[in-house]
Amino acid sequence: MMDRQGRGLAETVWTRLDRKAGAITELTIRQLRHRLSTWVVLAVGFLLLIALLALFIGGIRDGWEPIDNDGDAHDWDGDGYPAGQEFKYGSDPFDRFSFPGSGEFVEEGSFEWGSVGLYSGNHTWRSATGIFTYTWLDDSQIGGGGVLEVDSLEPCPDGELFENYWLDWGEGCRMGVDRIVVHDASFVGNGTFRVEEGYMAQWGYVADSFDVEPEPASNYIDEDDIDWTGDPNKINGFDDDGDCLRIGWPEDPPPDFVWWSWEPNHDSDRNGNGVDCDVEWIADSNGNIVAIIPDDNVDEDPSEENLAYEDAHRAFIIGTGKIAFVMILGIFLPLFLALGLVRDETENGTLHYLLSKPIHRGEFITYRILGYLVVAGGFVLIMSLLMGLVTASLGPGDSIFRLKDVIVWLGIAFATILALAAYGAIFNTLGLLSSRYGVYIALVIGVYEFVMAVLTLGGAELIPVLSVSHWTLQLIDSIVLIVWPNTIEMHIIASAFDLPSGITAFWSPPAHTLGTESPFISGLISVIVLLLITSLMILFGQSQFKRREIM
Amino acid sequence: MSTKTTPAVLLEKCSKWYGQVIGINDVSLAIDGGVTGILGPNGAGKSTLFKLLMGRLKPSSGNVRLFGVDPWVSTSPYRRVGYVAETEKLYDWMTGHDFVSTLARLHGMTREEASDRASHVLDFVGLSDVQNKEIGKYSKGMRQRVKIAHALVHDPDLIILDEPLHGCDPIARTSIMSVIRDLGSQGKTVLVSSHILDEIERITEQIVILHNGRLLALGNLHAIRDLLDKHPHRILIRTENPRKLAESFVPEDPVYGVRFAEDGALEVLTNDLSAAHEVLPRVIVDSGLKVTSIENPDDNLEALLGYLVGDAS
Amino acid sequence: MSAEESNTDNLPDQELPETPTPADTELGQTRMEVAYGAGDGDDDAQAIVARKASMGVLYEQIYRPWNGELGPRWVRNYAIFRHHVYGIFRGKGHRYYNPFVRLSILVIFLTSLTPIAMIFLSVTISGGEGSDWLNRMWGVNRYNLWGQVLGYFPRNLCMWPLLTALVVGGMISDDRKNGTSAIYFSRPVTRADYTAMKYLSSAVVLGFVIVFSYMLYYTSAIVFNGEGWAYLIDTLPIFLGGLLAGILLVITYTSIGMALSSVSQSRFFAAIGFLAIIFGTKVVALMIELIFETTVFYILSPYDSLAHLGQWLVGIPANYEHSLALSIISILLYNAASIGLLVTRVRSLEVTRE
Repeated sequence: MMDRQGRGLAETVWTRLDRKAGAITELTIRQLRHRLSTWVVLAVGFLLLIALLALFIGGIRDGWEPIDNDGDAHDWDGDGYPAGQEFKYGSDPFDRFSFPGSGEFVEEGSFEWGSVGLYSGNHTWRSATGIFTYTWLDDSQIGGGGVLEVDSLEPCPDGELFENYWLDWGEGCRMGVDRIVVHDASFVGNGTFRVEEGYMAQWGYVADSFDVEPEPASNYIDEDDIDWTGDPNKINGFDDDGDCLRIGWPEDPPPDFVWWSWEPNHDSDRNGNGVDCDVEWIADSNGNIVAIIPDDNVDEDPSEENLAYEDAHRAFIIGTGKIAFVMILGIFLPLFLALGLVRDETENGTLHYLLSKPIHRGEFITYRILGYLVVAGGFVLIMSLLMGLVTASLGPGDSIFRLKDVIVWLGIAFATILALAAYGAIFNTLGLLSSRYGVYIALVIGVYEFVMAVLTLGGAELIPVLSVSHWTLQLIDSIVLIVWPNTIEMHIIASAFDLPSGITAFWSPPAHTLGTESPFISGLISVIVLLLITSLMILFGQSQFKRREIM
Repeated sequence: MSTKTTPAVLLEKCSKWYGQVIGINDVSLAIDGGVTGILGPNGAGKSTLFKLLMGRLKPSSGNVRLFGVDPWVSTSPYRRVGYVAETEKLYDWMTGHDFVSTLARLHGMTREEASDRASHVLDFVGLSDVQNKEIGKYSKGMRQRVKIAHALVHDPDLIILDEPLHGCDPIARTSIMSVIRDLGSQGKTVLVSSHILDEIERITEQIVILHNGRLLALGNLHAIRDLLDKHPHRILIRTENPRKLAESFVPEDPVYGVRFAEDGALEVLTNDLSAAHEVLPRVIVDSGLKVTSIENPDDNLEALLGYLVGDAS
Repeated sequence: MSAEESNTDNLPDQELPETPTPADTELGQTRMEVAYGAGDGDDDAQAIVARKASMGVLYEQIYRPWNGELGPRWVRNYAIFRHHVYGIFRGKGHRYYNPFVRLSILVIFLTSLTPIAMIFLSVTISGGEGSDWLNRMWGVNRYNLWGQVLGYFPRNLCMWPLLTALVVGGMISDDRKNGTSAIYFSRPVTRADYTAMKYLSSAVVLGFVIVFSYMLYYTSAIVFNGEGWAYLIDTLPIFLGGLLAGILLVITYTSIGMALSSVSQSRFFAAIGFLAIIFGTKVVALMIELIFETTVFYILSPYDSLAHLGQWLVGIPANYEHSLALSIISILLYNAASIGLLVTRVRSLEVTRE
């Protein structure tokens, strides 16, 4: 009997509390809804995210150009052969006269720098600057773009070369029917060359030349994908394009000069694991990849379809989550909405209506913050779901809908809402503490939090510990790692193979894991810290408000 | 605790000062039942008194009890109290019905209960026809009445109204006064503050007079008046020939003196106002002088206060 | 009703008080006197409190025209300007700046002077590695002159936006909230003058901290290091470039801040709005640069547009790939839009408490 009564009483008290909470929360929501500034702020936030989504969709529509990560698809010297092909044939990729099959130029004579004079004969002329009067000029193209295109020479302007007009390097112009002016050009012809004063010219012949068809640049893009068996104990990595093993290359022995490696000498076992041309993946005892050391030129140009695309996609989600959600919405929504939750009521005098009801002042603060959280948090949640829907349906990969995207977005929303709660509690308490100074201090704290967020993004781990934004950003890092455990591998891969990566810019492994490296621990710590800040601030505000005399 | 043993409002040697300024000075008071007018000029401490009762302020010394409970510590007595604050601000974007029902929900009512009660009290204060209009569009009198409605929504035993007639036109004034009288006749304890004696007089005979934070008088208005009858009263008569009229007043019994005011009006001094008023018409008619006005300058709060505190005020 | 013991005794047994004479209540003050508190010539005019006029009397109101000479327009405008600027130093009689705002201005000003202390330090410990290092870090060169006004960290991340938000936030919004614009508009002050002077005084306060500290830095570097004319000829163009950049920064920030202040009734909305614009556009553009590899979105950020122009003015390589013209257009658009908004808002400002 007693028991039932007690339970009945408890229920009554609870439901009554519940009703009061509902009423104050609802009142707060309606109040915020009736303020123009709320709508302005939410609309600006909405526009910002829509603009980012538009950029994202625009990026998808443009498609992903395959990236030549190792740079060997580019024809650096302009001789028509991609660097990779030149390298195979041992020619110098930075010298336009050196290309596969170009043979060897044998110099017979030259005007040295600064000499003056004339020379006649049927020769191959190199690096020649001056006027050539000819009886025969070879108009067949040899090799790539390094040779003067004698067919399409423009007439020279009036006056003297370098005094009245200028020619680009390797270019020339026609002065008459049998006379051309050239600047550092290469051509074959029979005639008399007069060197320009202060310049040079060489002549001779080309030996052992043969024809090699230039390969298309696409042969050297995405030609060496990352070969990861998933097991660090197996042999990983395979030199798909053969530029590490160099078996069957036309040039034998292969040239030692490896122009795109930073090392002057090619080392087919740079990681020193005794296997030529492989990639060593080093895992810790938990099986997490902690480092990747490739041999030279192995897996150096992976397909963007698999890696860079995914990387950029995640970078967009993480970047938007951290910058647009936490740093902009997370800091500025509370500044706009939470500062006046109780302060404005006090200033207006409308607080008297609410406080003449049988409601504890402490409860009152909590319910006000709850109401603000419903508005701000609801907005964040809806926006994150919208972002999630778009990125999940348009993202890379085989699946039609990337559910994990949505989970990460929900995680971002969760982190942002925790930040909103913490900031809301802080700013509300400041507004309570001093209606005169509190708001200014709130502004300074807003700037401080922003600076700390920037520092956290920059990789600082210690100084920003004293800020809400630091823990929120770390929570996002943790959530990302929980949902996409391979993010850390992508992070390591990007640095190991020197790939352009947005993940390295926006994401870093969570720092505060108590040495366990577990994202669950760091996430949990972040959540606890944020909740602790929120509740301490609310408690502090309550104790202040309880003792406050209201005029 | 039952109402029989504990008065609705109890102040024991209660003082409240703000720094150097004294709000309430050593006031002891117990009020239970009926309508009581709290009178006093601006700054007398009426609002301070109410704010002490409503737990907004903490007494600097002494005790405040609302149904036996310290309102600074506990909000529980507010279940039985309705408070109409002095503030003019309301949630202008809400409708009157919304405003009252939202605040009703803070008493733990369900949405439906709150809505029913709100309609009921809005009808009681005479706002049922405008209850779905936004408060921002209300007139001053309507705003005061919606404030009263919110205080009545939970059917309180004690209703505290801080300057409910302030800034209202005569029509609104009359209707608010009748609402207050109705509440009194329902057996509730009602405290009404005002700085205009006339207003209070039309509502109740029970008054408390505050001045400079001190309790000056307490009790039935007429009893206080009678007490004051020992004090000299003035009757101001404007006439074409004050000297001649003065001559005819001097022999009259209730009159103990006459004086000439600076603008030429005649001041008749008496200790017994009602007796003086009885002889007044006769004397004037007998004198045959043309009288432009007769004023009773002491029949207002300032005069009352003037007598109570002497010339010090 | 039951009375407690203490207060009942001072009720009935009082002595007979003197009958108050109505003399001092009868002669009321004139309304003009009450309103303006000065007895300059209106002493002989009188109005009597209506309660006493039992028959109803109409009082003739005589307004005597003021025949004095109106001060020239610039004197009136200077008074407005002075009112706002002096308030930072002396509260009395001038615009009220919250002590916290004054403190922040002081701290920011002192922080912006740190390079001077460093140069001084490098001179006093002359010779040795420390001095060299100090001089490299804080001495006058293109990068340091640029950084003194336009560096992102810490000046444009922590200091200048906060300074602007605190100083400009309430310039017009306070008037709108309190109805104090009536003080100006009931006097021979046009709305244009009002706006211009408010703008100028905010810009001068910001300029004092941002540009004046920059000038101090440059001059003190010359004085401390004992530089000669050759040095001056070498560095003056760079200095002037930086000066121009600083002035542009002050103008742009003031424009945006004043516009926000004029659209809101709360100084904090304006202040937070300003911070949101400066920080928000910057980080979003940064994010877009990192993900989508384009710098063109920096034109949305007032700070970056100013930095881009400043880099060109001082002669250091630009951090931005897009054309400088776009940044200049962005600065112009921001200023034009802000001033346009400000002017239309002030023009329609209601001279009441809103």
